[in-house]
Amino acid sequence: MNAETTYKKISETTDRADHLWRYTPWKKVHPTGDIKKIPEMSEEVRIRLINLDGSELREGISLQRGEKIGEDLPNVDLVATSFVKAVSENSRWVLKTERKFYSETPILLEIEANGDMHALELILDIGEMSDFEIITMIKGNANWIGLLRTGKIGNASNINDITVGLQKKGVLLRLDSMSLGRDANMNTGTVSSGSERTKADLRYKMAERGSNLHVLGSILSRDEMHLDYHIEIQHDAPETFSRLSWHAACGGKSRTIGTGMLKVAKGSIGTDAAQNFHNLLLSKDARADGIPELEVSESNVVGCGHGIANGPIDESQIFYLESRGFSESDARSALIAAFLNSTLTKMGSANLHNWLSKLLTSELDVMNK
Amino acid sequence: MFKSDDICTQVMQSKEPLLEIKNLHAGIDGNVILNGIDIEIGPGEIHAIMGRNGSGKTTTANIVMGHPDFDVEDGEIKLMGNDLLDLEPWERAKEGVFLSFQYPQAVPGLQVGNFLKKSVASIKGDEAAKGKNFRELLKKSMKELNMPSSFLSRYVNDGFSGGEKKRFEILQMMLLQPKLAILDETDSGLDIDGIRTVATGINSSIRGTGSGALIITHYSRILDYVKPDKIHVLIDGKIVATGDSTLATDLEENGYDWLEEKIKGGDE
Repeated sequence: MNAETTYKKISETTDRADHLWRYTPWKKVHPTGDIKKIPEMSEEVRIRLINLDGSELREGISLQRGEKIGEDLPNVDLVATSFVKAVSENSRWVLKTERKFYSETPILLEIEANGDMHALELILDIGEMSDFEIITMIKGNANWIGLLRTGKIGNASNINDITVGLQKKGVLLRLDSMSLGRDANMNTGTVSSGSERTKADLRYKMAERGSNLHVLGSILSRDEMHLDYHIEIQHDAPETFSRLSWHAACGGKSRTIGTGMLKVAKGSIGTDAAQNFHNLLLSKDARADGIPELEVSESNVVGCGHGIANGPIDESQIFYLESRGFSESDARSALIAAFLNSTLTKMGSANLHNWLSKLLTSELDVMNK
Repeated sequence: MFKSDDICTQVMQSKEPLLEIKNLHAGIDGNVILNGIDIEIGPGEIHAIMGRNGSGKTTTANIVMGHPDFDVEDGEIKLMGNDLLDLEPWERAKEGVFLSFQYPQAVPGLQVGNFLKKSVASIKGDEAAKGKNFRELLKKSMKELNMPSSFLSRYVNDGFSGGEKKRFEILQMMLLQPKLAILDETDSGLDIDGIRTVATGINSSIRGTGSGALIITHYSRILDYVKPDKIHVLIDGKIVATGDSTLATDLEENGYDWLEEKIKGGDE
């Protein structure tokens, strides 16, 4: 059954009682709101792969049209996934790295969408023992963008994978379905301050022994943005490690939601996993929810925990910075930046962090204007 | 050692006391804490305040710095003749007031190096936070306080030990070169070596610069290394005795009861 047929069969099956669709129903994410329809997408997005510093890409990495199937991927939500697969049929790309591919310079995958509606499927095929950092930057004026990323992080690879959402408006539907190989290390970060509405369903499977995963979020919402992130981590192998650390700063009348699901399958002995959501409320009209959930089916684990903290900026911290010469507005900006930076700094190398920090500073400047 | 010629000249030329607190009545949420405090610190002087827990020592420090939670009911606070009470905390910092906190706030995500630069730039101007002079002063101050350069890449007070927090406060004081430094229990939680290190930092920043300091403490140990010109004893929000450094020894040996008895006796 192809994706279109699958979607048409199940399009009305999303359930508000389901953790995934509780806060942002599918109808609000669908490009037209008429969930039975599969609309035509605009022309293709502009996509390019470059080194962040402008230097030439090393050999061993490529971005080509194509397909690759058969990986042991996490269970996905069929409605959103089949929809994006159906609408991105003509825009399917494979980002491949050869075995032992290495790059000191962070790599930038730039996705620019300026038409009405765009969709893209990106399949990651990361070779064994690869070692690099990649930023996927989504930008443009599109009214609707769907991005589905699937794939496998090869055995013993070290990958820092950051997705930056900078669209000026519209809706972003972002789906990740990734699997980590044996002893693979992945830092996957989300930096977002764009789009009016984001629905993200990010799923990672620790498919083989010894894999390590950090899922990090630095989210800045303002005006009337509605940003809803669901992060699901599945431990399906022994001696696996994962941490979810999600920081959202919410201003204006915006709303952010972070829902986590940590699943530890029977037999995943020695799993060490934790999820934490921190929300900083910047105005009385902003709203933030963090809802972590656990499903642990193995008793012999190192630990599985979750936590959440919501609150405004600490007035004692403001007084401390003011006593050091920061004006009140400078102190508030510095504290918001620090809050977001504490996850940003874990996303990758100093080079990558500097780049992300500059980006964050300019986004904060926009908010302060 | 790190004299700020500008501050030194400015303070020395002033005929006004460096800090003048007159008849200060203050409290929080309707509870009276300070019942008419008077303190006058001249240029180049170091004073100490001692007193039991809850006597109003930290409140005095916070009110001079401009903590918004406290209400000043009556009195004056002037720095070199300029009224501080109408100023915001950051404006007081720019005027030259520095408070070394008893419990400094942690700010995860804010790097020490960036924080120091921004702080120096805010108080002393952008130029002061740039170039060789700033780097040299920073290096020299850190060396004096036995702080490794790796400290600069840590986050402000995040995961610092008690001693590291106190040394970091003194480092900030040495870089900001304030006219008035208020040191709120900077010695508590420090071992003898730590107290000696911190005292060296205080002496080099204050002595001979024309600046002044108000040291709040429970113990006489730090006063062995930073000799105060005057010691004030605070009981129930009022200064009940002022004396020289022998007063600290008397208090440490005999507690505060004898002083209270003496005051009561005097009243009767």
